[in-house]
Amino acid sequence: MIYIFALAISWLFATAGTSALPYLHVLGVTPDFVLIFAACFAVLRSQDEALLVVPLAGLLRDLATSDPVGTSLLGFAPLVILATATHLRSMDSQFVPAVAVVATGTACHAAISILVLVLTGQNIAFGHALVQIVLPLTLVNSLFAAIVYLPMSWIPRAGRPRIISRSSMA
Amino acid sequence: MRLVWWLATVMAIGLISIVLSERGTLSPLRNLSLTASSPVERELRDLASPIHNVFEGITDRGNLADENDRLKEELDALRVQLAEQQNAVQRIKELEDALGVKQSRPEDLLKAANVIAEDRSGFKRLIAIDLGQDDGLDEGMVVLSRSGSLIGTISLIYADFAWVRLITDPDSTINAQVNVAPEEPSVGDVATPATPAPDTSATPPASPQPIALSTEPVRAVAKGELRRGILLDLLPSDSRVVRGDLVVTSGHGGNYPRGLLIGSIEYVDERPQAPFKTATIAPAANLSGLDTVLVLINFRPARLISP
Repeated sequence: MIYIFALAISWLFATAGTSALPYLHVLGVTPDFVLIFAACFAVLRSQDEALLVVPLAGLLRDLATSDPVGTSLLGFAPLVILATATHLRSMDSQFVPAVAVVATGTACHAAISILVLVLTGQNIAFGHALVQIVLPLTLVNSLFAAIVYLPMSWIPRAGRPRIISRSSMA
Repeated sequence: MRLVWWLATVMAIGLISIVLSERGTLSPLRNLSLTASSPVERELRDLASPIHNVFEGITDRGNLADENDRLKEELDALRVQLAEQQNAVQRIKELEDALGVKQSRPEDLLKAANVIAEDRSGFKRLIAIDLGQDDGLDEGMVVLSRSGSLIGTISLIYADFAWVRLITDPDSTINAQVNVAPEEPSVGDVATPATPAPDTSATPPASPQPIALSTEPVRAVAKGELRRGILLDLLPSDSRVVRGDLVVTSGHGGNYPRGLLIGSIEYVDERPQAPFKTATIAPAANLSGLDTVLVLINFRPARLISP
């Protein structure tokens, strides 16, 4: 059930990302809600669920945009690894790790997207892309993470990642 | 270990997908995806557009009054220009008929398309339209705004949909020319117009009007840029390009018809000793709020008809 729900939300965010959200400009960029959702999902849910949902969310994003199919599939992969890294440390709230994963994941996704676009013959001005797109997008996605994180944290805790605390390790 | 295997699998699938996507093998899948999402996208765009307009109206209220005054002045000036150009067009047509010259742009055949999606989140500037190969469209075809100014070309095409690369996309390059405004004539250039026939009616003869000195159009290359929108490059350093000059397609290269309006000069960047100048172009069409566009279907770009 959670898989269907997650994929439906991803599809809706991907569709909104090319239709309604381009009207929303913050610091000259549009927040990437598919990435934010995938990152929050990977942090809040179990690794088993993230391993399936995160790449499929990337695939849905690719199908909605003009990017070559597979770009976000690759670009979202670091989200799962980053989320796994956050599970290794005990924290009272998962919000700060989620924001950290969103920020780092945005930068990783942008780097992979640039690489794919350059390899497929697109013209990218690296300096402008970094200053005008990547840095503002990292900031904006991190700010918008709260909007996605909060409703997702209300989902029942069954299936949430098991936090490895110092006491359980001892 | 499981994570390593997962990562290897995702990378393999991702790379294979990119290769297949570039070869066009996944086009039916993308077409299917757009078919499924286009009704929702239309609804969402219809919902978001008025909300955006309201917010824009609130935030830009001060600018709107100034813009309104400026536009009124421009409208008056354009009406005068239009009257002059209608005369000029008529004269050109008569001369073309007399000389048997083929018209550079006969009647344009246009097909209206709705914009269903925009891809401007990242490093590209593209829009998706609801016409595709089945509607007679082809890659490279020229797309215009409702008012007839250039907005881009079709870059990706599926059966029922197409992605249009906007003129602000970093991959967009257009051979352009600037129609430099004529210089202010000196006293010696003032004379009576040569074309009108002598007026034999009772009305008094018109007073001498200054004749606009004819100027050669300045050729350059208009490139899309993420930062500045459109950059006009390779402008000769001795060209007298100023803010407000109109930029149109030159027709060189055969990928665009001649004389399509791109925009107007916004800022000229001159550097001493540099062999060329650059300028920033303000696009004639509002590229951020497009809902309907026109595809020029009777113009075949050179790259499509060349062997």
